[in-house]
Amino acid sequence: MDLLTDHLESRKPEAGTICRNESRFVNWVPRLLWTGFALISILAIALYPNFPEREWLGLIRIDGFALLLGATVTFFSALVASYSRKYLTGSRHRKRFMALTVGFTFSVMALLISEHLVLMLMSWLGMGVVMSEMIGVRSGWREARQAAFWSRRYFLGGSACLAVGILLPAFWTRSFTLHELLAAIPEIPRPILLVTATCLILAAIIQSAMYPFHRWLLSSMTAPTPASALMHAGFVNGGGILLALFSPFLFASSTLTLLLAIGGLTAIIAQFAKLLQVNVKQKLACSTIAQMGFMIMQCGLGYFTAAVAHLILHGFYKAYLFLSSGEGIVQSAPQEVPRIRINGVQAVMVTIHGLLGAWLFTWLTGKGWTLTSDIFLTLIVAITVGQATYNIVKHQVLSLLQRTVLPPVLYALGIGVYALVFNGVELFMSGMPLVSESMPLSAVEIGFGLVFLAGFFIMKLGVYMKFPGLYVRLMNLTQPLNRTA
Amino acid sequence: MNHLMSTDSLDQLIREASDRVGKTWPLYSFVTSNPLSGYEGLPFAEAVLRAGRMRGADVLPGAALFRKALMDGEIKESALRDILKENGLNEPPEYYLEQMDAATEESGDTEGNALNRMTAKWVMAFLDEGLAEWAMPYKAEGFYHAWKKLAQFDRELPRQQRRDFPPTAREAIRMALAGFAPEEQNEILEQHLAALPGWAGYVRHRQESGTSWQKKFPMDLEQYLAVRLTLARKLGVKLLAEKKGDIKYVGCLRLKYLWLEAWEQTWQDTLKTALSGGQEEENASRRPQPDAQMVFCIDTRSEPMRRQIEQQGNYETFGYAGFFGIAMDYEDPANGLSRKSCPPILPSAYRVRESHAHGKEKEFAAYAYRRELDRFRNYFLRRIKNMLPSAFGYVEAAGAFYGASLLARTWLPAWVYRVLRKSAPAHEHICEPVLREATPPGDGRAGLDPVAAATDTDIPLDQQVAIVKGAFDLMGWRDFAPLVLFVGHGSHSANNPFASSLDCGACAASPGRHNARVLARLANRREVRSALMYDHNILIPESTHFLAAEHNTTTEEITLFDRDLPPTHSNLCYHVMQDLHRAREAALARRLGSLPKPVIAAERLAGDWSETRPEWGLAKNAGFVIGPRELTRDLNLDGRCFLHSYRWDLDTDGTALEAIMQGPMVVTQWINNHYFFATIDPERFGGGDKITHNITGHHGVLTGNGGDLKSGLPFQSLYASDSEAYHQPLRLTVCIQAPRERVGGILSKNEHLKTLLDNTWIYLMVLEPGTGEFYRYDKAEGWTTASAQSPGKYPTPTPRKTELEVAGMY
Repeated sequence: MDLLTDHLESRKPEAGTICRNESRFVNWVPRLLWTGFALISILAIALYPNFPEREWLGLIRIDGFALLLGATVTFFSALVASYSRKYLTGSRHRKRFMALTVGFTFSVMALLISEHLVLMLMSWLGMGVVMSEMIGVRSGWREARQAAFWSRRYFLGGSACLAVGILLPAFWTRSFTLHELLAAIPEIPRPILLVTATCLILAAIIQSAMYPFHRWLLSSMTAPTPASALMHAGFVNGGGILLALFSPFLFASSTLTLLLAIGGLTAIIAQFAKLLQVNVKQKLACSTIAQMGFMIMQCGLGYFTAAVAHLILHGFYKAYLFLSSGEGIVQSAPQEVPRIRINGVQAVMVTIHGLLGAWLFTWLTGKGWTLTSDIFLTLIVAITVGQATYNIVKHQVLSLLQRTVLPPVLYALGIGVYALVFNGVELFMSGMPLVSESMPLSAVEIGFGLVFLAGFFIMKLGVYMKFPGLYVRLMNLTQPLNRTA
Repeated sequence: MNHLMSTDSLDQLIREASDRVGKTWPLYSFVTSNPLSGYEGLPFAEAVLRAGRMRGADVLPGAALFRKALMDGEIKESALRDILKENGLNEPPEYYLEQMDAATEESGDTEGNALNRMTAKWVMAFLDEGLAEWAMPYKAEGFYHAWKKLAQFDRELPRQQRRDFPPTAREAIRMALAGFAPEEQNEILEQHLAALPGWAGYVRHRQESGTSWQKKFPMDLEQYLAVRLTLARKLGVKLLAEKKGDIKYVGCLRLKYLWLEAWEQTWQDTLKTALSGGQEEENASRRPQPDAQMVFCIDTRSEPMRRQIEQQGNYETFGYAGFFGIAMDYEDPANGLSRKSCPPILPSAYRVRESHAHGKEKEFAAYAYRRELDRFRNYFLRRIKNMLPSAFGYVEAAGAFYGASLLARTWLPAWVYRVLRKSAPAHEHICEPVLREATPPGDGRAGLDPVAAATDTDIPLDQQVAIVKGAFDLMGWRDFAPLVLFVGHGSHSANNPFASSLDCGACAASPGRHNARVLARLANRREVRSALMYDHNILIPESTHFLAAEHNTTTEEITLFDRDLPPTHSNLCYHVMQDLHRAREAALARRLGSLPKPVIAAERLAGDWSETRPEWGLAKNAGFVIGPRELTRDLNLDGRCFLHSYRWDLDTDGTALEAIMQGPMVVTQWINNHYFFATIDPERFGGGDKITHNITGHHGVLTGNGGDLKSGLPFQSLYASDSEAYHQPLRLTVCIQAPRERVGGILSKNEHLKTLLDNTWIYLMVLEPGTGEFYRYDKAEGWTTASAQSPGKYPTPTPRKTELEVAGMY
C-alpha cells in the first residue's frame, strides 16, 4: 500500500530539475579544458626534448615556456571545472562561474603566447577582470561585491603599471613585439630602463600579492572555494611569469636586488602572520603570500627557472589545500607546545644530513657551492633537510632504525622529484634569455641572507611569542579590507 | 540620571539577556537545536515576532515556498481557503501571496559595521581551538583581560582610546550601562548579544559545557559583552540602536502564519489517512516468529531502510532512540578524546572506552602504534609547513605528490573512498567497549589503556539490567527471534565541515555504533539475562543472540560488529547479511534511482570532495509516530517521519510513554525546529552557502572573509537548488497511539512538555486505541476530534508590553 507515494514522494534533485541548457554547458566545460590539457601535453611530449620557437605574424609565439605553463594552467582550470561542476550544483551562479573559468584559462593562454605587446597587455588586463568577477560571483552579497571592487582596483592599477612599463620602451624603440623589444634593450637609456623595470615589478608584485599589496588576496574569500584554488594556483603566478618573460630588463636595470628585498621581506612577514591565523582560508592566503615572496626572491637571485618550478609545485600544493579546505573541523584538547631538545649525537646527525641533502641537491640540479646566489638555494635545502631530520630524530615513537632511515629516504625522494621537475623546467625554458643566472653575492644579498637566518632562529626558538605588540600588528596587517567582511 | 546597579541586579540583567542567546555547537559535534530555544516559553507566534525583530531575520516561510507548496498540492487549497475565511480573509490565495511578495524587503546583509568586525576579530582569535600555531597572548587570563592587554597595541582604535580600560569585565559593563534606564539597559544587552548571535552562541556553549578549552581559557557572555560594549564606546558607536516600528511586518507575519497552518494541516490529514489504513492490521493475526529482529534509530532515514529490509524476508524492525538508552561519553581510541554519545539533554552517567579484546593484544598494540605514527606525521607536517624556511623547501619537495592526489581525488572519488576505508585503521574487531561509571566529566586527553580490564564493566548489575530492560519496555517487545540486531547509524562524507550533522542526533552527532555495541554486550550477558528472567519476568531464550551493527546512511551499507556467534547462528547470520545487501541495493535504487549503478553512485557521494550534498540528513522531517510498527509497516512515509516503537497495551502504567515523551520527543522537536528556521532564513539561522565557507578555529565556519560564526545547517542540506527548497518547513506533528487520559496525565506531570505543546512549537495527535479516532491536543479546547478538524486560528499575539514598546522603540 503505497498510500503516500503520490503525495509525498519527493522529486529528487538528481532527477534533473536544473535547466537543461545550463547543464549541457556546464558538462562541456571540463571536457573542453581536459582536452586542451591533453593536447598541449601530447604536443610537449612529441617535441621533447627540443622545443622550437614558432612565431606568427608578430602576434603570437609558441615556445617551450608557453607549452609548459599552458599545460599547467589547463591542468588547474580543468581540475577546478570538474570540481565546480559538482560543487556548485544547484547554484544559480554555476554557469557564469564555468564561463569565467574558461575566460580565465583563455586569458592566461593568451598571455603565454602573446608576442605582440598590446595583446600581452590585453590578456593581462583580461586575467584581472575575470578574477575579480570570480571574487564577486555571488553578486547578491554585499561583501562579495565589495571584495570584487577592491580587487578590481588593484588589478587595474597593476595593468596600468604594466601598460607604462611596456609601452614606454616600446614607443621609444618602436618595437612592439616581445623579441624586438628585448633585443633593443641596449638602445634604451637608463632612466627609461629604470622606469620600465619598476613598473614591471609593480605589476608583478600586485598580481602576486606582495607586501604592501597583499590585502586584496586576504579579502578574496567571498569567491567560491574552487575559484580560490584557481586564484592561488594560477592567478598569483602571473607575477613570476611576467618577470621571467621580461628578465633581461631586470638584469639591464640592475633591479634584481629590489625584487630580492620585496620577496624576502614579504616571505618572512607572511610566514609569521600565518602562525596566528585562525581561519583556514586566511591561513592558506598567508601561506600563498609567503610562498610567492619566496618565488619573487628566487627571481631576485636571477633564478627565473627555479621560480617557475616553484610556482608550478606550489600550485599543486595550494590547489589541493583549498579544494580540501572543508576538512579542518577537528575536536582537540589544548596542548602545550613540546619543548624541543636534542642531544649531541642527534645534532651531529642533523648537520650531516643537512649537508648530504645539500650535496644531493647540487648534484641533481647542477647548482653549486660557490659564493654566488647559488649558495642561497643550497642553504635553504640544507636547512630544510636539517629541520626535517631534527623533527624525526627526536621522536621517541620511532624506532632507532626508523629514525636513521626515514630522513634520508624522505629527502632523497623529495629532492629527487624536485630535481626532475626543475630540470624539466630548465629544459622547457632553455630558449629564453637570462632566466637562470648565478649572480655574485653583494652586500645586500648577504645582509638578506642574515635576515633570513635571523627569521629562522626567531621562529625556531619561539622568541616571537614574547612580543604581544607584534601579534596585534600582524593581526591587523592581515585583516580583510574595508567592508569585505 | 545615573542608575547605580547592585551586583545582583547586574547579574540578573546579564543572565536574562544570555538566556535569549541560542547555543552554537561546535561542528565536530553538531547538535540540531532550536535556534529560538531562548523563546520557547512564549507562544510560537509571539516568539517568532520578537526574535525576528531582534535578529532582523525571516521567521516564517515566504511567498515563494508557499506558492510552490500550493502548486504541488502540499497545501490543500480548500483547507487554506477555510482557514483564511475563518480569519476574515476572503480573497483568493494568489492575492495574499502577492501581498506577501510586496511586503518582502530585500533582507539585506548582516550589518558589516566596524564594531561587528572588531568584535569578531578578537572573539575569533580567542575561541580558536588550536588552528593557529601562535595563540592569542594572555589567553589563560580570560577573554576580557587578554583583550585589555592587547587592545593598547590595536591601531584600529583611535590613539587616545588605547588606554584607560575598565579594570574588570563587570566594571566595563557597569560603565557602559551607566546613565541608561533599566529597560534600556536590558535592551542594550539583548541587542549586543543578538548582533553576532553565532559567536555569542558559541560562547554560551563553551560556558555551559565547560570544555577543556574553556577550563584553560575562560570566556563567558559577561566578558563578551564587556569587550563589545567597551569597543563600542571607544569607537563612538551608539549603544542603543533605534528600532523602527512596523505595522506591515506584523500583518504579513499573521498572513504567513495562517498559510503555515494550512500547510501543516494538509500534512496532518495525509498522515492521518495513511495511519488509519495501517491500524486495521494491528488486529490482524500475529505474524509468525521473525527470523531476525532489528532495532533502528528513530531517525527519519531509518524508515525507508526498514521498509526495504522487511520486504527481503521475515524480519521485524523496531524504532528506538539511537543512543540505545545508554547515557554515556565515548572515548575514541583514535585520539584519546572523549565525547558525548547520548542526547545533549541528558547528563552522561557512564563513560565507555575501548580495551583490547581477548587474544588481540598484539593487534591492539599495533593499532595504538599506528595512531602514534599518525600523530607524529601530523606534528611533523605542521612543523615543517609552518617554519621558515622549511615551508618553502617542503612545497618544492612535496608539490608533485599533491599533484597526483589532486588527480586521484577528482577523477576517482569512489575508488579513493573504498581504498581509504579499507586502509583506515578500524578498532572494533580488536577491541571491546568497557562500560564505566562516569567520573568527573572529562574530554581531556588520556592515553590508551593498555591493561586489559578484568571485566568489561564495573557498573552494578541492577543498572545493567535496567538499561537492557528499558530498551525492551520502551519498544514494547514481545518475543525474541534467534538474532537481534541493534543498528546504530553514521554517515560518511568527504571534505564536509558539517559531516557530524549527518550522524546520529540522539548520540550528540556521533555515530551510533558504540552505544549499539555496548547494549548488545549487556544483553548477551548471562547474569543480565537471568536477572531479567527472575526479577522482571522477561524471558530471553538461550538461542537468542544480540549483535551490534551500523547503518551508513550515505551508502545504505549495514556493517555488523563483534560477529562471534555460536555455530548454530552462522547460517542465519549469513542470510541476514545477504538480505541486508539486497535491501541496500533496493534502498539506493529508490534514493538514487535516476543515476546508473546506484551503489557506485552512493560511494561517490561518500568519497567525493566536491560533493556538497552527500545525503539529505533529516531534511523533510515533519512527523513523529509513536506506536507499533503495524501502524506504519506497509506505508511509504518517504523518510518524513521519526518512528518510535511503542505498545500502549504492554505499558500499563505509562512510564514507557512518559520516557519517550521526555526524551525522544524533545530531541525531535529540537531537530524539527532547527530545520524549520534554518530553511526559512538560511543565512541567519542556518549555515549559509557552503561554497564560500571558511573554517575557523577547527570548530566552526564563517562565510567569506569573516563575520559571524554560522550556527546552523548549511543551505545545501536544506535546498536542492537556489530556487528549490528540499526541506518543507513544517512544525513537527507527533502522533501517539495510546489512550488520551494517559497522554494527558503525562502532560500534566511534565510542565516543560505541556508548555511546548501549549505554545505550539510542535503538534500532538493521539490515535485512540480501539476506536481508531484521532484527537488533536489543543491548549484552549482540550482534545478535539481531528475528523471535525476546526480550521486553525491565529493566536492573537499578546506581547508583554514593555515600556520600550510603549515608547515606540519596537
